[in-house]
Amino acid sequence: MAARSLRAHLLRMLLPPIAALLVLGGLVAYYPTIEPATAAYDQGLIDVGISLGTYIRPADAGYRLELPAAVDQVLRRDSYDTVYYRVLGPKGEGIAGDEGLPEPSGAVVDAVVAYDASYKGQKVRAVALPAQCGAAACRVLVAETTVKRKRLARDILFSTLLPEMLIAFATVLIVWFGVKRGLGPLARLSEEIKARSPGDLRPIDPAGTPEETRPLVSALNGLLEEVSQSSRSQQRFLANAAHQLRTPLAGLRAHTELALAQPLPTEVRAELEQVHQATIRTARLANQLLALARAEPGARGNAAELNLKTLAESDADAWVHQALARDIDLGFELDWAPVQGDAFLLREALANLVHNAIEYSHRGGRVTVRTGERGAHAFAEVEDDGPGIPEAERERVLERFYRIPGTAGTGSGLGLAIVREIAAGHGATISITDATGAKGCRVAITFPHG
Amino acid sequence: MRLLIVEDDAPLASGLRRILEAEGHAVDVTSRGEQAVLAAAQERFDLVILDIGLPQMDGFEVLRRLRTTAVDKGGPMPVLVLTARDAVDDRVHGLDLGADDYMVKPFAMPELTARVRALLRRSQAHGGPRIVHGPLALDTVARRAFLKNEPLELAAREWAVLEVLLGKVEKIVSKEAIIQAVAGWGDDLSPNAIEVYVSRLRSKLEPAGIKIRTVRGFGYMLEEFKGA
Repeated sequence: MAARSLRAHLLRMLLPPIAALLVLGGLVAYYPTIEPATAAYDQGLIDVGISLGTYIRPADAGYRLELPAAVDQVLRRDSYDTVYYRVLGPKGEGIAGDEGLPEPSGAVVDAVVAYDASYKGQKVRAVALPAQCGAAACRVLVAETTVKRKRLARDILFSTLLPEMLIAFATVLIVWFGVKRGLGPLARLSEEIKARSPGDLRPIDPAGTPEETRPLVSALNGLLEEVSQSSRSQQRFLANAAHQLRTPLAGLRAHTELALAQPLPTEVRAELEQVHQATIRTARLANQLLALARAEPGARGNAAELNLKTLAESDADAWVHQALARDIDLGFELDWAPVQGDAFLLREALANLVHNAIEYSHRGGRVTVRTGERGAHAFAEVEDDGPGIPEAERERVLERFYRIPGTAGTGSGLGLAIVREIAAGHGATISITDATGAKGCRVAITFPHG
Repeated sequence: MRLLIVEDDAPLASGLRRILEAEGHAVDVTSRGEQAVLAAAQERFDLVILDIGLPQMDGFEVLRRLRTTAVDKGGPMPVLVLTARDAVDDRVHGLDLGADDYMVKPFAMPELTARVRALLRRSQAHGGPRIVHGPLALDTVARRAFLKNEPLELAAREWAVLEVLLGKVEKIVSKEAIIQAVAGWGDDLSPNAIEVYVSRLRSKLEPAGIKIRTVRGFGYMLEEFKGA
């Protein structure tokens, strides 16, 4: 379905009634004004007729009009129209005036009649009125062209329609801009939602939104609440599951290590070694799942002022033991690196970087953990002298469960994905570059300014 | 040594018991926090290994009661906390409640036994003047050292550095921490000077199988004695 324009819809709904109102308003204003004006002009004609009637005199075989030329001129004078008249004798015979001026239809002779007619190819307005011819009744017809009447009609129409047109135009403008203005709060609302980070599931503050958008805001807030509830319960589930796994895994590990401490046939020992390694991997996976659950958008909320140096120092023990187990020289170059973040997540990110470096380095390799500031950006990085990550694989190794084909080791492929998510959650970026030495690679997390 | 394990997961508890018994300790096991509090009130254990995730009375509460109500006979009982929670839990991480050390499950048994040994040694150090590390023995009162029962000559600063390292076996001790611990000796000490003392200690101790590992850019770690 095409998006419907509220504006066009409103205009479509408003314009016909506005047009109808315009016509109706025109009619309502026109007729009450034109009627008395027309009547007044008609009265003028009647007055001319009455004046003419007073000049009818008896003559030899009937009557004649004794009209002085000056009077004729006065009576015919009009600024706009040509005035015609005709005087008819008692028998209807023409006595004087303009030949052929049409009489009104209808037989009534002794009443004043106003009518429209046509004379000399022009529309005329005419009146017929009786005049005294001695004992008998003569008839006077007076007509004039319709220039000033048309002009009057036009003036009236113009003076009533112009304001109405202006009102209609104003209505359209009001609708056009009013809709834009009226929808302004919605636009601001959508800007606010757009500007949010994906993990921000806080309710929208209804203060500052107009009354009309409150239902929308509260519906959105309801949805946000549901989403964040379900996200929270999913995270709780993952976290619980990971926690619950740890105790039985600890038991499993204790017993395999006890068994391995005893004299065993070589094959059994090899099998048991496998079980032991699998136990360790499973434990690590549980930790990683926990970290992923924590790193999910919406789960954060433990941001604090931290120092990457301190974080690295606090976990150095565990890392050194991992490194010793693989005969790797783990070193530190730790400088002050203040960041804002979640201690658990950042430690997990560092642990994953260190673990990867140790896991994928050859025995006797060298791994260095660095923290510090470059410019105003705090960073943490881990450099190894292992096989490195080919340029073409550097994007892909950040994906979940991706492992470079043919790689030794027993990783889940989650480590760097977790680091990336944790970095993203802190507004930090992860970069993989060549190590400073001849081989190996360097994975760095660089934090935003301040 | 007498140890109390408070852990409700039976397989883990039995595994821990067997490992620690193999180390030569007398081990009691309970799965209930209430019982642990009762037991600790009646007799002294040299170390309590306490799981946090216990049913009903949890480990935090047990620890609190051990620290506030338990009868302390001959110094506080060291407590090693086991947790399935994350180290991020500040109460665990900060060891606010008076735990002496903590381990996040699942852990490697050698690491556990090393921590247990360290804690026991520390609690003994509180009680007695002798620190023993494999063939090395330090009499802290007489300030005399013995290696394989032979007197060992140690300069005052060498002694101080060794004492710091012995207090944290299997843990990294930063150079700064060593400098701070030895700073009482007056003049300024540079990290380079510490290196000199450590290298002298090495030449004296390594023939007996005692290893001090350098953690590049950080500090030193006295390794668990594994035989010469």
